[in-house]
Amino acid sequence: MAKILLLEPDALLAKNTLGALKKSGHKISWQSGAQPAISAIDKQIPDLIIMELQLTGHSGVEFLYELQSYPEWQTIPVIIYSHIPNAGEPAKHWQQLGVVAYYYKPHTKLKELADSIDHILMTA
Amino acid sequence: MNLRIGILGYMQEGKISAPQLRGTSKRRQSADERLLLSLAEHLKLPLLQITQSAELARLTNRPLEQLESIELTAENALKLLDNYLFTTQLAQQQIAAELEPVSLSAVLHDVADDLHKLAAQYHCNLQLHLSGRYEPIMAHRRGLEAALTSLGYVFIEAQGSVETAHKPVVKLAAHRGKKGVVAGMFADAEGLSSDMYQKAHQLYGRARQPLTGLTASNGAGIFIAESILSAMSARLRVARHQKLNGLAATFMPSYQLSIV
Repeated sequence: MAKILLLEPDALLAKNTLGALKKSGHKISWQSGAQPAISAIDKQIPDLIIMELQLTGHSGVEFLYELQSYPEWQTIPVIIYSHIPNAGEPAKHWQQLGVVAYYYKPHTKLKELADSIDHILMTA
Repeated sequence: MNLRIGILGYMQEGKISAPQLRGTSKRRQSADERLLLSLAEHLKLPLLQITQSAELARLTNRPLEQLESIELTAENALKLLDNYLFTTQLAQQQIAAELEPVSLSAVLHDVADDLHKLAAQYHCNLQLHLSGRYEPIMAHRRGLEAALTSLGYVFIEAQGSVETAHKPVVKLAAHRGKKGVVAGMFADAEGLSSDMYQKAHQLYGRARQPLTGLTASNGAGIFIAESILSAMSARLRVARHQKLNGLAATFMPSYQLSIV
């Protein structure tokens, strides 16, 4: 059972994602903002982070840079699950920030997200 | 149409030049485009919520649990669209924002009823606070309701996503100000400053999230509210109500009924 941190600003979307991912048997916690997410990671390092890029207060990219600034957190795989399409950012750019997959919410079913988590955790 | 006649009249009298007119219409077109972009982005959120809820219902085999959420989200999206349509009709002068004496407390009660379910969905504590009794205010009733409801969506969605130790409070409130009766939405978790409001205007249409410190949604409701209120000659501004920050507009009381 993997520990997953979901970083999603919208409470209803978070509730739906949590509902779908709990079905796959993982231990999932939810944070709505970058700052509380950093505090949560400080208390317990997750095996995987799923995050929206557009957050309240800080942007998701700021959060990723913050994550990369701590050596012990650099190896945490991050899945971006965002309503913002990936606007041609090179894969290398995201890899440098620890991002292993980028999903555009309107085109990604919850089931696809759950399946990809299992795959990423197996290969990590 | 009236606006065109008015502008042509001004041009004939030499009060407005052709380049000035082109500038005005360009600015208006640009504002309309920004509002449309903002609304399109904003509608992604309820549609995503509906899609995900439907999928979750299928995955968990519990359709009834999700049905209420789907219904409410769809209703809210329709109201947002309806308010946008109303704003556009006002802007194009298809309907006139004729001011009439309106009972503010009746409008606030109706808006609170409308927002109640959304607040429950986002685990917000929605409160209605009227400091005293008011004489009728000069407003367009449908417009005022639409503006306050649009503002309410933004505040509830924003406060619902803010991490707080207690249940976030969103207050629909009115109080007497120096220049009239102030009515608007107020919240306790996140403060709004004039700077942030200004920044929102600069970023409006360029990012999904103009109010970075306030909301993760795009805040289209604020601009819808602002457009409707400005059609009623009221201005949306940063305000405070009982130590809460928010956005509100000031309305002139109707003295006509007092005399009668």
